[in-house]
Amino acid sequence: MREFSEKHLNILDYALSSLWRRKGKNLSVFLVFTFVIFLLASFQFLTRSLLDAAQATLRQTPEITIQYMVAGRQESIPVSYAAKIKDVFGVRKVTARVWGYKFNEVTGSNITVMALAHFPRLDQEVLAEGRFGAKGEKGWAVIGQGVLDDLGLGSRRSFSFFRPDLTLKPFTVSGVFGPESNILTYDLVITGIDDGRDLFGMEATLATDLLVEVVNPLEIATVARKISKALPGTRVVTRPQILKTYEAVFSWRSGFAAICLLSALAAFIILAWDKASGMSPEERREISILKILGWQTPDVLMIRFWESFALALVAFGCGTILAYVHIGYFQALLFRSVMMGWSVLRPGLSFVPVVSFGDLFLLFSLAVLPYLAATVIPAWRCASVATDSALRG
Amino acid sequence: MRPSTLYAILMLTLAIVAGAVTVHGRQRALLEMDSSAVRDSLTRALGLTDLCLATEARYTRHPALTDDLAPFMDYPAALEHFPTGLFWAPPR
Repeated sequence: MREFSEKHLNILDYALSSLWRRKGKNLSVFLVFTFVIFLLASFQFLTRSLLDAAQATLRQTPEITIQYMVAGRQESIPVSYAAKIKDVFGVRKVTARVWGYKFNEVTGSNITVMALAHFPRLDQEVLAEGRFGAKGEKGWAVIGQGVLDDLGLGSRRSFSFFRPDLTLKPFTVSGVFGPESNILTYDLVITGIDDGRDLFGMEATLATDLLVEVVNPLEIATVARKISKALPGTRVVTRPQILKTYEAVFSWRSGFAAICLLSALAAFIILAWDKASGMSPEERREISILKILGWQTPDVLMIRFWESFALALVAFGCGTILAYVHIGYFQALLFRSVMMGWSVLRPGLSFVPVVSFGDLFLLFSLAVLPYLAATVIPAWRCASVATDSALRG
Repeated sequence: MRPSTLYAILMLTLAIVAGAVTVHGRQRALLEMDSSAVRDSLTRALGLTDLCLATEARYTRHPALTDDLAPFMDYPAALEHFPTGLFWAPPR
């Protein structure tokens, strides 16, 4: 055992010295490899963090949401549907909700306006200042931090939105959400349902969607199926479906960005193969001398393996640490423009990278193993050439 | 000093840096958990369904409540053209 480890330690020493002799070439390979691993790992850590944030934040999302569909588009749902849904066995409560978007033409931002039929029952202090409007109170609005900045309110506490007929609907800010809920409320305006209908020009008999609470959360799917059967033409979205949607949205296997990153990795492996297969005359001479001295082809391959593995391991370590710092401390700076696009309201997100052993193993398999194969296989082809022909050049 | 010893020192340094950033990340995650009760309370009381990450298009602001056709609804044969469509895969 000791002899085996001593032999490999000596081979590793030789391989590291060999790497150092060609430091210019190896440094360029190291830098490119580190960058490719950094990009892949950043993308993996970011999507995992987003997925974890979605799973943790949306676990209390509505059990069932009912939308009304006409010609494949969502339309306003008649409030009378609520009575039909209440008749379904297993339904505890149905709430009508009005919500939509307002475009701020001055800044180009989209603001989400949500109007509630009930006074929200909150068991935590969620507002940085103020309160929600009381029942029957008109014209109140609780706004997110982003809306406060976007409307340029400063110390003012009143603002207006245009109704569809271009008359102004005034609101008074009764409260502001705290920054800890930015990931949910940054672009949000909450108001009473009558003000919401007034703003969007919606009749009192209509709502945007209906929220359903069920008696037994284990029966969400069954109740949803019953509602779907009782109300054809509606789209029934359940809590598990919402969580699954986020799994699909943030899955690294989907998305154009993942394809681009894998293309970069493929390009790097082709480059590594090309570099390794086009060995310089000095490298061929070195292999020939080693073979004349009594080294076998497996020993030569072992050197090449240790060279590639030592370089790949350092690149893997540096790439993943840099990716962690990129996501955790620079808030995914490189990907933010793709992730948020033309969004004007951008919440200042605070990602905490989530790293699992599975993710690291996946990255290792995706990046390091193909690189080892791409360098060792051409080395084997070179190591098996006749020594005298290589020495003669 | 043998090259393998130097290499071992390098790997040990990387491991220490990795350990330090991971421990710091854990501490931040614990701090984040403190505000998760606030977010739970908000989603439950207001019926919120989506994260506020990309606000440029309704199908990336509210992917959970958007149907598959929403990105192509503007007119017949419309193309999905918002940049976030590159990052956000369509919901299934």
